[in-house]
Amino acid sequence: MDKCYLGVDIGSISTKGVIIDSNYNILSSNYIWTEGSPIEAVKRLIPTLKVPDGYKLSGIGTTGSARKLIGLMLGANIVKNEIIAHAIGTLNYYPDCKTILEIGGQDSKIIIINNGIITDYAMNTLCAAGTGSFLSSQSKRIGVDINDFGDMALNSKNPVKIAARCTVFAESDLIHKAQLGYKKEDIVAGLCKSIVLNYLNNVGKGKKIREPIVFQGGVSKNKGVVKYFNEVLNTKVIVDDNSHLMGAIGVAILSAKDNSNLDFNLDINDIKFETKGFECHGCSNSCEIVKIFKDDKFIDAFGNRCDKTIRIKQ
Amino acid sequence: MKIGIPRSLYYYYFKDLWINFFDFLDIDIIVSPKTTREILDLGINNSVDEMCLSMKNYIGHVFYLKDKCDYILIPRIDNYGLDNQTCTNFLSSYDIINNLIDTKILNYNINLRNNETELSGLFKISSLLGIDKGKMKKAYIYAKEKEKSIRESKIKENIEKLNSNKKKILLVGHPYNLYDELIGKQVIKMLTDLDIEIIYSDLFDTNDEFKYYSKELYWKYSKDNIGSIVKCKDKIDGIIFISSFPCGLDSLVNELVIRKLDKPYINLIIDDVESSGGIETRIESFVDIINS
Amino acid sequence: MDRVIAFPLMGNYHVPAKYLLSKISDCKVMDAPKITSKTIELGSKNSPDFVCMPFKYTLGTYIECLDMGANTLIQMGGGCRYGYYSELQEKILKDLGYDFEYYNLVSKGYADIFKIYNTLKKINPKLKKIKSIYHFIITKNMVKYIDKIEDYIRGNKGFEEVDGCFDKEFNDMLNSYLNNKGLISLYLRYKKYKKRIKNIKLKKIDKRIKIGVIGELYTLMEPFANYNIEDALYKFNVEVKRFTNVTYLLFEKGKKSKKYLKKLNNVKYKMGADALDNIYYTKYLIDNKYDGIIHIKSSFCTPEIGSMGIINKMCEENDMPVLFMSMDSNTSKVGMETRLEAFYDMIEMRKNNG
Repeated sequence: MDKCYLGVDIGSISTKGVIIDSNYNILSSNYIWTEGSPIEAVKRLIPTLKVPDGYKLSGIGTTGSARKLIGLMLGANIVKNEIIAHAIGTLNYYPDCKTILEIGGQDSKIIIINNGIITDYAMNTLCAAGTGSFLSSQSKRIGVDINDFGDMALNSKNPVKIAARCTVFAESDLIHKAQLGYKKEDIVAGLCKSIVLNYLNNVGKGKKIREPIVFQGGVSKNKGVVKYFNEVLNTKVIVDDNSHLMGAIGVAILSAKDNSNLDFNLDINDIKFETKGFECHGCSNSCEIVKIFKDDKFIDAFGNRCDKTIRIKQ
Repeated sequence: MKIGIPRSLYYYYFKDLWINFFDFLDIDIIVSPKTTREILDLGINNSVDEMCLSMKNYIGHVFYLKDKCDYILIPRIDNYGLDNQTCTNFLSSYDIINNLIDTKILNYNINLRNNETELSGLFKISSLLGIDKGKMKKAYIYAKEKEKSIRESKIKENIEKLNSNKKKILLVGHPYNLYDELIGKQVIKMLTDLDIEIIYSDLFDTNDEFKYYSKELYWKYSKDNIGSIVKCKDKIDGIIFISSFPCGLDSLVNELVIRKLDKPYINLIIDDVESSGGIETRIESFVDIINS
Repeated sequence: MDRVIAFPLMGNYHVPAKYLLSKISDCKVMDAPKITSKTIELGSKNSPDFVCMPFKYTLGTYIECLDMGANTLIQMGGGCRYGYYSELQEKILKDLGYDFEYYNLVSKGYADIFKIYNTLKKINPKLKKIKSIYHFIITKNMVKYIDKIEDYIRGNKGFEEVDGCFDKEFNDMLNSYLNNKGLISLYLRYKKYKKRIKNIKLKKIDKRIKIGVIGELYTLMEPFANYNIEDALYKFNVEVKRFTNVTYLLFEKGKKSKKYLKKLNNVKYKMGADALDNIYYTKYLIDNKYDGIIHIKSSFCTPEIGSMGIINKMCEENDMPVLFMSMDSNTSKVGMETRLEAFYDMIEMRKNNG
């Protein structure tokens, strides 16, 4: 039997999964909306990923903001932060890549690579302005389907300037511009451009952006944003067809490299998996603890600053 | 030889002194133009993202000038004596900019607690430029007189406006915000269009008036701003506070004053100047309240 | 009415602060509850939006203390905007309807020993000069001892063989300090715990990863404000170096600026608060071959924003990994852990390939 590996990237907005073989070819992939519940999302995602006949699942990796929780749930052999996962995934397809631009749902990041090694990176410091969730909430506000957003922006000749450093300022500005009667496509294009400028000013500030540049994350599917990255950076950024899957691919590769040789199974639907949050008063730290139960059995907790909680509350 | 003066921050405190001083000495100066979107963008692109809008704007003006002159004039102000400190941007802007550009910088330091005065500072840069001590002194006396008479007439005009029959609004803010083409000028224009008499917070002679609102205040420029309110609050109809996002001093001082204020007011915090739409709505409704 | 004194927390300094205030005031000194997310919520709700985080944390703590029965609040912050907190915080709390007395030991942004004495005299009119000087000296030493021990712990806690050894000894030490019986007794306690802490067994690791933590003082020194960044680093087996502590800020900083300016060729002046100090630390960490620098501050901290560009430039020129973190009330623990983890992974990758 050939070996294959599962990578799951659970973000705040979407959950991505991919199964690769030992040569890192994609055998199966999918992405769905997280809808606020990583556990439910993964339960919906896993059955849609097929382990082909003749393959045996030999590794599971998780990444993204819920990586720890889902790592426990799936019994992953690798749990890795999304910066490393994205870099590993991208380097697999573009070994010469020097800069990775990534804009996801809540986070955006830049990763600088030298000879295949991450030498620098940064993530957004301010609020969600300029990330995917900001784009989708604004598209709702002006009544444009997020899927049409990119194409609509391409039609604009005069993108409207929009103040996008802070969500609050951006929203009031957007409402105002809409009331002034600007064309929808110009507003949409303005939003796309403001995302790019905001990203370069916040996340990309002080970083040497060198080619080849790979742009990924959910927002990389937006053609308008791609267009303005090209325009502002005066170059052509690479957007892979699987740009939204890079994190999942990266962590699947890491799980393959880990060589755990364990047997994994994906029958998770019958398993009852629960989390309970509470404030521990074991000491004056008052930590907010998340406890995880698998089939009503306590398996782990995080959020604690000491191990008291687990002893007391188990 | 040409000296560049960025039209931002220090400019609004020292312009009359500097322009007349260099004029007397026959030294060419170039003042950057009124802020444009391009200048501000130069600043935004070359500064740390979290910096306040005014500091970014200043950096933008510096970048505009950097290839157009031999020196850029950037003083540093540590303090105007005990309990008269400045915002830390006035302490750090020289070093921040010196690490950003290669153009030579003319710099002097004002630290009255350490006897470093404006005169000793200008003397220092003059000797660097090879100017005779006697001539420099004459230029300073000349410029100082000019500065004084210009300021006196502006203050007189400002105070006379308090007797106007129109509705009167006091604009409270740092002069580099109030008079900047993209920051405060839009507010001034809107108010003028609404037929409001505008009183400016920087055009008062203030002393200890700030104590009415704050006992502990130790920032010179905030003292001046707050003092102006005490000086004219019985003669005005409302107050508009203008700050740039996220001004550290204003965030504390304006909040304290607002909590003790018995006048209608609005607090405008301006970030990216493109979003003037919201400001317009707020100013119009504020003027409506005052007029009703 | 009996006086109940409360003061805001920062790191482990509530121990010397409580000692001093209870000796000098002869009143009950309350243990402020540890900062929790509720504290921040209370503080943020009642603070101006763009004020720096320490304002919100300390305001939240005051509200919690007042609700628990405190009636005398003491603010000890000085320097930069901290110095001006007190007046606005007092106003906000009065507006909320609380009845209390408020004393600011470090008014107008700087510490004046006579002013501090006079303020304390208002709280306790029977206060004697000699007695207060004696307790000042004990407190000063206590701070010094805590800082010395913490400095050692930072370098080694990441390598303890059995988890929790350092914490246990250190907490025992803090408790023993509170009921010391004078200068000598304090010194003996310090000696005893120093020996015990230095005897804690460490794992042997050939190439330790060393990270310097610099930035704005409150966020650096209060673990809740920085999501316990030091403990997070120990989990990666990292040696941590931090320069900022109260001994430094109160007794050493004043003398050092000139030395820093002499050694730095890229800065001419003090740049406000600790900006110059942090630029110097950057040089120190680069010169001493540390593996990475983490710069951490509260959002909107103007002086540190001023230092960031210069620090970034120095790190870039010297190929030193640097991570900037800006904390506000929305910062999430998960986001912070992701950044730290990635920073550590990056350093390790560089080390293994360099």
